[in-house]
Amino acid sequence: MEKLAVISPAGVQVVEQRGIAPRLPDLAGKTVGEVWNGVFKGDETFPVLREMFRKRFPDTKIVPYTEFPFFSGDDRPHAQQEVARQIAALAKEKGCDAIISGNGA
Amino acid sequence: MASVVIATSGFTTLARVLSKSSGIDNLRLAEYPGPMGIDTSPQIKEKLERRVFDALVQGLTAPKPKEKAAAAPRSRNPADIVFAGSLYEINDYFTQQEWTDGLPVFAPTRERVDEFLAYCDRAPDEEIAILPASNLRAVPLNIAANAIMAGCRPEHMPLIIAAVEALADEKCNLYNVGSTSGIVPFLVVNGPIVRELGIEFAGQLVSRGPNPAIGRAIGLIVKNIAGFRPGKNYMGTFGYPLVFTLAEDESTTPWVPFHVEQGFDRNQNTVTIGVTNNWGPTSEPSATADTSAADVALELLCREIPKKFRVYDFPTIGPKAETVMVTLVISPPIAKLLADAGYSKQDIREYVYENARMSLREFTWLTEHTFPRATTVRQKAEAGVLPKEYLGAPDDMVRVLKGPEIVHIVVCGDPNRNRLMSFEGGHTVPTTKEIRLPRDWKARLGEQQKIEEVA
Repeated sequence: MEKLAVISPAGVQVVEQRGIAPRLPDLAGKTVGEVWNGVFKGDETFPVLREMFRKRFPDTKIVPYTEFPFFSGDDRPHAQQEVARQIAALAKEKGCDAIISGNGA
Repeated sequence: MASVVIATSGFTTLARVLSKSSGIDNLRLAEYPGPMGIDTSPQIKEKLERRVFDALVQGLTAPKPKEKAAAAPRSRNPADIVFAGSLYEINDYFTQQEWTDGLPVFAPTRERVDEFLAYCDRAPDEEIAILPASNLRAVPLNIAANAIMAGCRPEHMPLIIAAVEALADEKCNLYNVGSTSGIVPFLVVNGPIVRELGIEFAGQLVSRGPNPAIGRAIGLIVKNIAGFRPGKNYMGTFGYPLVFTLAEDESTTPWVPFHVEQGFDRNQNTVTIGVTNNWGPTSEPSATADTSAADVALELLCREIPKKFRVYDFPTIGPKAETVMVTLVISPPIAKLLADAGYSKQDIREYVYENARMSLREFTWLTEHTFPRATTVRQKAEAGVLPKEYLGAPDDMVRVLKGPEIVHIVVCGDPNRNRLMSFEGGHTVPTTKEIRLPRDWKARLGEQQKIEEVA
């Protein structure tokens, strides 16, 4: 059978890979922000997790999701990027050391 | 800033793929086991305590692997030969690489690719677009490879390139096409090119002529260049039918053609990308002694649209709504009937917007039982997210569409049948691009025909 030489149909990678941000040495005295996408029961899961943080890490401060914009609704890319910028600025303003976001499904 | 993402089982890969496509490798995740939507409150609490919380803490505090310098993208020349073998071996290899749609493909040899490139006045490696969500570069070489695999012909290349440009447009919002709701792109082709390429616009159109191959090429491009892989970031719960191709022909529509409504000249060639979450049913309006078939057609549409889950299952109404589009596919006899009864396309849009309704009781039940969300219908209406009519009594009939502008009309199909159909799809606005033809298009088409006649 004839041997055929073929090229790839795959897209060409263009995005430079960076690592994740440095991790915290521990959570003692740190501030953790909650970012909710507005769906998939985050209003139920975040309060439970908040309570668990309170018990396990009593001096960790939690900034609840109600203090950040929801990451849902207007699904146009530029609108979502704008929400992401707002969340990042707010996290900084509120002194967050870390962010928990959810719920992905 | 350190961060962790909570994702349910099956969606951690999606989170990692999306993160990587934005340049963030090694995303930290805390996996919630199973679909959260069906869990009761005690089950959710138990899973958070047992499975999620420690992963969260670990994700925020466990040192990341030794810092590496930012890694430049792996450079790969899209012209490189990646495999050599028989057609069967190529199919096996492409299947292993997840480059097929599960069906056999034609071989994108360099010789065949060159035949496609002859129909495109662009350099083989010129950037046509960066396609979301994987942010990979589309160039004529890999576009041609996918078109060949799908069974397209060289002269389809300008159309396929224009469709890639549409996929890349922010309006098209390809980022969200991986939704578990199963969003299927489709194409609408308009202009003289419909007849020049023999694209089917009449009976059984999605299954005839070059339509299936052209649609399949776009499906492969969504997979291979946009990077949507089933089960990883292409999450349609039941999978996807093949991308399909519609076409309008001026002789079959009594109204302004679809592409003219999108701002193009009647003689321009265009391709539009739209999306749908469903296919059919195809209603058959019939006249009775006291009701015209035109009135029945409109009534059928208004009864069908409220059954479309996308228009109520997501918060698609109001200022912070997700995008939704409704496409009415109308056969030529029904289009003529409606036009003869005095309805323009805009009249139909407004009629459907005003009259596609469901009871507030039904809307409330469906929205509150199909997609976990924080606020009730009433709360949304009070906050101005839903219109004030959603503050009414349970038996009030509320409009389910955001506005007439989300309704789009395409005239096509069997010229001898009185049928119509409506699609609805989410996250996308129909995105139309001009098909730019190579300089000597007509001559090349003629040459191609001569070659085929000789063969």
